[in-house]
Amino acid sequence: MKISTKGRYALEAVLDLACHSKEELESLKNIAMRLDKSKNYLEQLFVILRKSQLIESVRGAQGGYRLARTPETITAGDIIRSVEGSMAPVGCLEAGIDACECGNYKICPTRDVWGGIESRINEVLDSVTLKDLMDCYESYSGKNELEYYI
Amino acid sequence: MKLSTKGRYGLRALIDLAFYGSNGHQSLGQIAERQNISEIYLEQVFATLRKNGIVKSIKGAQGGYFLNADPDKLSVAEILRILEGDFSIIDQASEEVTNSLTLCINMNVWEKIDEEINEYLDAVTLKRLVEDYKNKLGANAPMYYI
Repeated sequence: MKISTKGRYALEAVLDLACHSKEELESLKNIAMRLDKSKNYLEQLFVILRKSQLIESVRGAQGGYRLARTPETITAGDIIRSVEGSMAPVGCLEAGIDACECGNYKICPTRDVWGGIESRINEVLDSVTLKDLMDCYESYSGKNELEYYI
Repeated sequence: MKLSTKGRYGLRALIDLAFYGSNGHQSLGQIAERQNISEIYLEQVFATLRKNGIVKSIKGAQGGYFLNADPDKLSVAEILRILEGDFSIIDQASEEVTNSLTLCINMNVWEKIDEEINEYLDAVTLKRLVEDYKNKLGANAPMYYI
C-alpha cells in the first residue's frame, strides 16, 4: 500500500513553488531543475493541480505559476488527493457498497479496518498545511545558510 | 493506493478460521467457500502464515488448519506486516533524502501517516474482529430464514 510518485512529486513541486513564488511567478523549468525531476512529468501534475484550483498559471514571456490560494488554506490532503484520487486502501470503500466484489458488505469482517486506515491517512493529510511545510523548509534553509558561513 | 489481495484475503480468512476454528480445524476449502475466495490463492496465503507461525496445519484427508496464536494478542498490524511486508506509505528505499524540502515532507507527512496507521492497527486485535464478525452475522442472520 503506497502513495505513488504522482502524489509525492506533486507535494514536493507545490511546496517548492510556494517557497519560490512569493513575489514573482515561478517557471516549471526552475522547479524541475531544483527538484531534479522531469519537467514533462511535473507539467502533467500541474495540469491536474491547476484544474483543482490549487495553483494558477499566467501565460507569456514573464509567465509562470503561483499558488491559487494562500498556503495556510492549502493542505497536503488537497494536493495529494487531487493527483492520487481517494486514499481508500480497498476498492469497496472508494466506489461505495456496489463495488464490493464479494457482495457481502453487510457481514464483511475487514471493511471497518480498511475504513479506519483511510480515516487515519486523511486526518494526517488534512492537518498539515502548505504553510507548515514552508515554515519547516525555511527553518532548515536558514540553518544551512548559517553553516556555510562558519 | 491499494492494499494487495494477499493482505485483504489473508485477514478475512484468518478471521474466518478464528471464528469457525472453535469447532475444530478447518480445511481451506471450507474457508474459501464461506469467504468466496479462490482456494488455490488461499494456499499461498496460508503457506506464508504457516511459515510465520500464525497457523498450523494437520495433514491428511481430514486435515486442515488451526490458529496457532492467541487472537487477543495477535494484532492486525502483525498480520498485515507478514502478508504485505513493509507497511510504509511511501517507498522508503527509493531514494536517499538529501534536501531539506523532502526531509520536511517526510517528517511532517509520510512518517506521521506511518505512525498513525501503525498505532491504529496495533490496537486492533484479531479477537476484536472476530467479535465484530459474530455481531454482524448475528444481526444479519434472520435474513437467511425469511
